[in-house]
Amino acid sequence: MGRLLLIYRLVLGDIKRRRVQSALLVLMIVTTTTTLTLGLMLHHVSPDQFARTRLATRGPDVVAEVGPAPGSSRPAAKQLASLLHAPGVAATAGPFPIAFVQLTAAHRISVPVQAEGRDVAPTAVDQPLVTSGHWVRTGQAVIEQGLADSLGLRVGDTIRLRGRAFKVGGIAVTIEQGFYPGTIPGLVWLTHTNAGQLATPAVPLGYILDIKLTNPGAALTFADMPALNALGSATPNEPSMIEPWQGIRTDDYKLISLNQKVLLVGSLLLSLLAIASIAVLVGGRMAEQTRRVGLLKAVGATPSLIAAVLLAENLLLALAAAILGLIGGDLLAPLLSSPGQGLLGSAVAPQLTGSTAVIVVAVAAAVATLATLAPTIRGARTSTVRALNNPAQAPRRRPGLIAVSAALPVPLLLGLRLVARRPRRAVLSAASLMIAVTMVVTAMTVQHDLAATGQRRVPYVGLFISTAVSSAAHANHLLIMLSVILVVLAASSAISTAWAAVIDAQTSTALARALGATPRQISAGLTTAQLLPGLAAACVGIPAGLLLYQLAGGHLNEASPPLLWLLAVIPGTLIAVAAVTAIPARIGARRSVAEVLRSE
Amino acid sequence: MPLQNASRNQSQPEPSSGYQLRVVQEVLLALLVREPSYGYQLQAQLQLALGPLAAALNGGHVYVTLNRLEKAGLVVSTRVPQGDRPDRKVYELTTAGDERVREWLADTGWPKPAPAEFHLKLVAAAAAGIADAVGIIDAQRHALLLGLRDAQRAALGEPDGSIAGLLLEGVVLRLQADLRWLESCARYWNAKRGS
Amino acid sequence: MDRDQPALSASGVDKVYGKGDALVHAVDQVELEVARGEAVAIVGPSGCGKSTLLYLLGGLERPSAGTLTLAGQRLDRMPESGLARLRRHSLGFVFQAFHLVDELTAQENVELPALLAGASPRRARKRAQELLEQVGLSDRAGHLPSALSGGQRQRVAIARALANEPLVVLADEPTGNLDSAATTDVLRLFDQLHENGQTLVIVTHDTRIAATADRLITMRDGAFVDETSLTGGSSRTLAAMTGLQG
Repeated sequence: MGRLLLIYRLVLGDIKRRRVQSALLVLMIVTTTTTLTLGLMLHHVSPDQFARTRLATRGPDVVAEVGPAPGSSRPAAKQLASLLHAPGVAATAGPFPIAFVQLTAAHRISVPVQAEGRDVAPTAVDQPLVTSGHWVRTGQAVIEQGLADSLGLRVGDTIRLRGRAFKVGGIAVTIEQGFYPGTIPGLVWLTHTNAGQLATPAVPLGYILDIKLTNPGAALTFADMPALNALGSATPNEPSMIEPWQGIRTDDYKLISLNQKVLLVGSLLLSLLAIASIAVLVGGRMAEQTRRVGLLKAVGATPSLIAAVLLAENLLLALAAAILGLIGGDLLAPLLSSPGQGLLGSAVAPQLTGSTAVIVVAVAAAVATLATLAPTIRGARTSTVRALNNPAQAPRRRPGLIAVSAALPVPLLLGLRLVARRPRRAVLSAASLMIAVTMVVTAMTVQHDLAATGQRRVPYVGLFISTAVSSAAHANHLLIMLSVILVVLAASSAISTAWAAVIDAQTSTALARALGATPRQISAGLTTAQLLPGLAAACVGIPAGLLLYQLAGGHLNEASPPLLWLLAVIPGTLIAVAAVTAIPARIGARRSVAEVLRSE
Repeated sequence: MPLQNASRNQSQPEPSSGYQLRVVQEVLLALLVREPSYGYQLQAQLQLALGPLAAALNGGHVYVTLNRLEKAGLVVSTRVPQGDRPDRKVYELTTAGDERVREWLADTGWPKPAPAEFHLKLVAAAAAGIADAVGIIDAQRHALLLGLRDAQRAALGEPDGSIAGLLLEGVVLRLQADLRWLESCARYWNAKRGS
Repeated sequence: MDRDQPALSASGVDKVYGKGDALVHAVDQVELEVARGEAVAIVGPSGCGKSTLLYLLGGLERPSAGTLTLAGQRLDRMPESGLARLRRHSLGFVFQAFHLVDELTAQENVELPALLAGASPRRARKRAQELLEQVGLSDRAGHLPSALSGGQRQRVAIARALANEPLVVLADEPTGNLDSAATTDVLRLFDQLHENGQTLVIVTHDTRIAATADRLITMRDGAFVDETSLTGGSSRTLAAMTGLQG
């Protein structure tokens, strides 16, 4: 019992004494655990939602649609009649009238939609599944789930279709077409009468037919049949479409897979950042911990007690950070989920599962153990005296750099010598910064890919192209969130790295100040010392980011951002590093020289 | 806090000159063990060994001491005619003198007196009430510091490995020790004054 | 700077740490003036505040109250950058722990202040060589501190302190980490500097160092309690001390 109490006191005492360093350590580990949590959570998104929805809504195998043809001689409905008894057809529903109108929501958002007129009674093929509210009623509309989520519509809200007010009676999912915003225009269901009322002479009704085949697998061949193609070719002015269910699935999955791609890439990068941070952590603490081992040995502690004290302290900090990281990941994950996917089972945000928590805690504990092992072993091998007097790697001497730096202005002199004296720390800083740059570049590439793809999407109905609402918008939103989170995490990692470097250089900078260097020169020197790794990080990070995008399944030739943007990452990184180093440098400069030099 | 500086900067009174140095007797005897010597030779050897401190010994002191030793039967002198110059005396060790030397060399007594006298001086001053103990300490400290300064300068002036330098090192260290003790005295008597 | 102006001065200087019950007056209402060319030694028991006072005098620590001047300029109101610039040419500091840069040779260490002050590498090197010769370590110029003895390291540190020809050299327990022989070397050096007219303020608990000064100030509990002038006196006193008399 006494031993436990002793360990407890030693650990608490040390943490209290080195408050800033302990906080930094926790910050770095929190960065690691948050990123890890997010990575693991995002990995769980994406069950096979399409199949579930198809089953639940008795989804059609083929959907045939004839668009509005003002001034056409043939009524649209008649054109679809030939399909009702085509070979291979098992059942049909419709033709249902469709009106092409603008939907205006309460907050003045206006999007083009197709309003489909439906029976109140359920149909045998394609009965949209209502997820909230109820099915169509006079004066009420049912909104497709994707559309409803995108516009923020709920049951009970009022919308206007071509100026007419309708109440939102329900929200439903279907696979009659891809969900919004993957497919535009969005879909809204009304009663037959209501739909009919929305037609105008300029934009008359179109018609849609849902077909169930005896052999669902034959849907592709069915859609290619020459007789059907005749539907559209006879009169070029009559737009029409035949869509097999596989095509609709592709549409849906394009959006989902895009989101997934983003999330996958994101989670990969986050995990990589986690690992790099661990390396920086362990590496950075070595010197200090070795000295502690020496001290404890000198006062007569047994090796097992020493190991216990170190482990206890590291574990305590690591576990605290793990919990914070789990909470952080849990809070941030909903920002990265995909609400608005119009399929069953997709409205749920990623959950923090037990296995994720266990993994994160285990990783944190592993970090703590690793961080304990190295100095304990080192301390056991070195003599106590050496461990006490020479705790860090003795700084290396590089005569070339020293000579060169003598001719440079003071900030460069200081910066160069600081880097030369602790090359290992510079390498670790560079590694951690490189991960951050890689993330930013990959994010840039994905963003660029989306923009390029978005522009190439073929519009469904010539009259209603709206570039403001593209399928890429949602993934874009996702990507922006992800990028923001990545940047924040990268920034926190960079700040911890910079701060640790500033603390490490404390004695050197205090001495320089005593010898006449101004705080501004010191600050600039510290920044320079970080800029060199930063430059290396930027140069390596740019190709690494592109490579990572490729590895995650992207197409580099189309997606690669313009060279100018890529090159801009270099000065961008340097500015960011400078900014992030300036703060701890400024704070360090306020501490009185005497305090630092006397405590040595 | 005002400091009482005034009295300290005045020059110190000359110390009394009647203080006999017994150890010089035994030293002269020992210097005669190897061979008989003239008085001036013994003087030269002493001066070499004492370096700058030899100034404290005036010329006549050696001869006076040799006289006393002769009267005590520890040395015998023989006159040596020098031609047209006055006779010189050669001094030689007797058996008794030889014995005395060996006794002295084997003796491990440490000649420097314990600081009893100064200690008693302070106690007596406090009892008599005519002088402030702290003032006495400060004055003594000042004197010792000057001595330390001079000894140090002298020591620095000596070449490396000089035998006189060794003596001066001893002087310096002793004075340092004495000064440390005076600091303790000051603390004690200051506290006493305050209470 | 006016010839008659003191090299440095302190008036009503206080430095407090902590608060409430734990309030500590490290330095308590100190008044001091050091003339050019003067050597002042400050002695006292550990924790009496002498080191703190020295750091205050050098602008390496800020006073809680009072005024400090160095080379005629007020330190207590100056911003950090101004203090740094002032230190370049007015101050040389010698630390108890030497604080040499481990990965630089003795010469490179001595060059450092000149480089920081903006001198060209050539000029800095020349000055360093002169100074190393002055302290008697020319043959060790290319050695790292780890290859030097304690006394040699401190002498390199003293050379470094002299690099920019400072107005004042402040030394904080310069022989604190040295043995007797090394102390003698450093002592000799300080004596020489004093003879060359260098203004010195030395904090020490070694009376040997203190004895080289013109003025000896004793500190206790943050305040000056005694001041002795050490100019004057003669070796007659010395003879009396050693018991050689006659």
